[in-house]
Amino acid sequence: MINKMELKFSASLSNEVLARQAVIAFISPLDPSLEQIGEIKTIIAEGVSNAIIHGYELDASKDVFLKAIIDGEDLELTITDYGKGIENLEEARKPHYTTRPDLERAGMGLTIMETLSDSFAIKTLPGMGCKLVIKKKITHESVAYGTVSR
Amino acid sequence: MENKIKFTAFDEGLVIKISGELDSMKTMTYRDKIHREMIKLGPRMLLFDFKDLQFIDSSGIGLILGRFNEIDKIGGVVGITGLNDYSRKIFQITGILQIIEEYQSTAQFKKKARINL
Repeated sequence: MINKMELKFSASLSNEVLARQAVIAFISPLDPSLEQIGEIKTIIAEGVSNAIIHGYELDASKDVFLKAIIDGEDLELTITDYGKGIENLEEARKPHYTTRPDLERAGMGLTIMETLSDSFAIKTLPGMGCKLVIKKKITHESVAYGTVSR
Repeated sequence: MENKIKFTAFDEGLVIKISGELDSMKTMTYRDKIHREMIKLGPRMLLFDFKDLQFIDSSGIGLILGRFNEIDKIGGVVGITGLNDYSRKIFQITGILQIIEEYQSTAQFKKKARINL
């Protein structure tokens, strides 16, 4: 069965918790492990805070869009902003690269999202915005162990 | 779980225990609290206890790195303890465990940090 949800919220960091909790509640029927819950929360936090801080430069009059689709045990997340986009994607993807060192974040957002997800796609156009599509399987280790064959 | 920060001072050192979710909003308020505590006590040894941490992102990583830089500048020692599978993974991805040592317990940190000072 395919299940879908969409959320639109103001580009304020105070809404990051809403985005995290909404997706966690949405995927709870899949019975994710604590580790998976933590990883998904971190993926969403990085994506949403990128949209708010970099896309919209903390302008809370703008909107962030979050979509989640569950198809079987596959979770697909789409985080979209219509902000300023990323000028140089290659630079942005480098670990520890940040355009805002003043904020004392780690410049690791894209690296973290990429590592924690099974597939990670980014589409951006300068001045047009940014769209992240993240895929992650919510599997159960005990089941996975049983199906391993070599 | 409740989101909170707790400070426990010991001789020349400070244990910072962060519980629950450490997100962008919490990072901002905790940074001020940690700053005030460090001004007050002037610790040379700093231990982050994440035993009850449920969530962290790059803002929290930035918070730890920022304090590491401050303590490192004065020749002090920073450590991390209480990592679970999830938080260890985040710390590994960000490379933080390459510069900040992980300790098994607060007691182990107190013992070893002194030698490394």
